[in-house]
Formats: sequence, C-alpha cells, structure tokens
Amino acid sequence: MVHEVHKIVKQQGKYRIAIANSATSITGDNKNDVFICASHSGINVGQYAAQANVKGFIGNDAGIGLEEAGVAGLKVLDEKGIPGAAVSSMSAEIGVGPTTYETGVISVVNKAAQKIGIKSGITAKQAADLMLQAAVKQGK
Amino acid sequence: MAHDEQTVIKQQGIYRIIVTDTAGTYTEKNKNDVLIDGSHFGINSAEMAVKAGAQGRIGNDAGIGKNNAGIAGLKLLDQHGIPGAAVSAMSAKIGVGASTYATGKVSSVNEAAKKLGIKVGMTAKEAADIMFQALLKKAK
Repeated sequence: MVHEVHKIVKQQGKYRIAIANSATSITGDNKNDVFICASHSGINVGQYAAQANVKGFIGNDAGIGLEEAGVAGLKVLDEKGIPGAAVSSMSAEIGVGPTTYETGVISVVNKAAQKIGIKSGITAKQAADLMLQAAVKQGK
Repeated sequence: MAHDEQTVIKQQGIYRIIVTDTAGTYTEKNKNDVLIDGSHFGINSAEMAVKAGAQGRIGNDAGIGKNNAGIAGLKLLDQHGIPGAAVSAMSAKIGVGASTYATGKVSSVNEAAKKLGIKVGMTAKEAADIMFQALLKKAK
C-alpha cells in the first residue's frame, strides 16, 4: 500500500537485512529478508510480515501498551516459525526505520527468536545479524 | 501488503469519519475525511495523512517514546492546518483502529486541534466528533 525504497544494509547470498520506515511497505519481494522497520509490532504488522514470509522481523514495541498490543504481532510470527523481536520505544524513534537498526535495544522477543539466541537487552544490530545467520544456515 | 479495510463511522454529505487499522491505507479518496487509525503518530504516518489531504486524524501515541517520536507527526499536521490528536497507548490497542475509536483517551493534541476545543483527557469519539463538526461548519 505504501511505496518505500528499502535500504539494504547487509547481504549474504540471496539473504538480506532490509530497513524500512513502515511495515506497510512489505511485499513478497522481502521473502529472503530480515525486515527491520519502525512500525509498532502489533497484530496487523505481524500479519504483513507473516504474509510476506520474511526471514526475520524487528519493529518497535510502541511502549507495549494496552493488552501488550504493541508486541502482539510477534506471536503471529511464531505461528509461522519466523523470528521476531521489538526494540524499546525509548531506544529508537518510532516511524524512523534507521533508528531501529542503529540505536534500538531489544525489549521483547518471540519463541523463534529465542531459539536462535536473541535475548532482550541485545542491540537490534546483533539481533538482525543472528536472524541473517540463521536464514543463511537454514538456506544451505 | 496492508490490505486493511476502512470503515465509515459517520457520514454527512461528502464528509466522513473513517476507522482503519493502519495509516498505510490512506489515499486521496480520504480527502474529505476525519481519519481514525491504530498506527503510531510518528512522522511517516502523519505524512500519509497529509498526502491524502485528510481533514483530521486521530492515532496512537505509541508510548510517546524516544525524542517524542510517537507523536512527532502532530506538528507536521499543524504545518498543514490539520487537527490531530493521539490517544494513550494504555487506553487503546495499537494496530487496531476500532480500539482507538472505542476506548481511546486523548493524550496529546496539536495546535489546530486545540483551536477547535479538543483537549487531553477527552475520548477519541468526542475528539472525532469535534473535528467532524468543525469540518461541516467550514464547508458551509
């Protein structure tokens, strides 16, 4: 729905780390990407990432909020075995994708992310690298 | 990827109150609308509303967060004279537009909204009605 040019910060074979401001810019072209954005990690955002079959997802926790809606999308990703994590809204500017990657500190992770060693407290960069390495390993 | 529907809550002539999960659905078809969504109120989602020519917008404050990024878009709307208000992340589920409208409590307003009498503490419904009435009055 929203057209945005994604910034590719790393590439290994066909797998990439891609950065966007908004999760509404995700398409099927992101299926080999660890997708980093500055959207909240709510239910609808989880659905966009799951539909695109991304290899990993990092968004903003949006203060977590009412009924933990800010990170509800991470569970949606778990249903498809996709690693997902959110950065604290005090560590990165929501709406501004590069800040998620540059300054984001992970606050919440899903089960698939836990399995590949991603923990709350590590940086978004570290988490993205772990997701990329897992994708590369799985793709072999 | 964001295929969310827009629900018309109120309509009078060509003017409407619309509810949707994401600001990513906004197009110029929304130019006569007061827009209610479940997105954060960061800079990029506000750009989407401005681009669509919205007559008013209510979103989620996303916990406000780093550098007040969660409500940075309110100022952008002011630059275009568009009333804007954000509801507290603890009052409504981010990502769920219907929740913004049904249970949202206004936590932040811009200058254009203040001029219409919209205040912190009001419900999103009250704020939306004020924006809608102002729009009808202006159109006369």
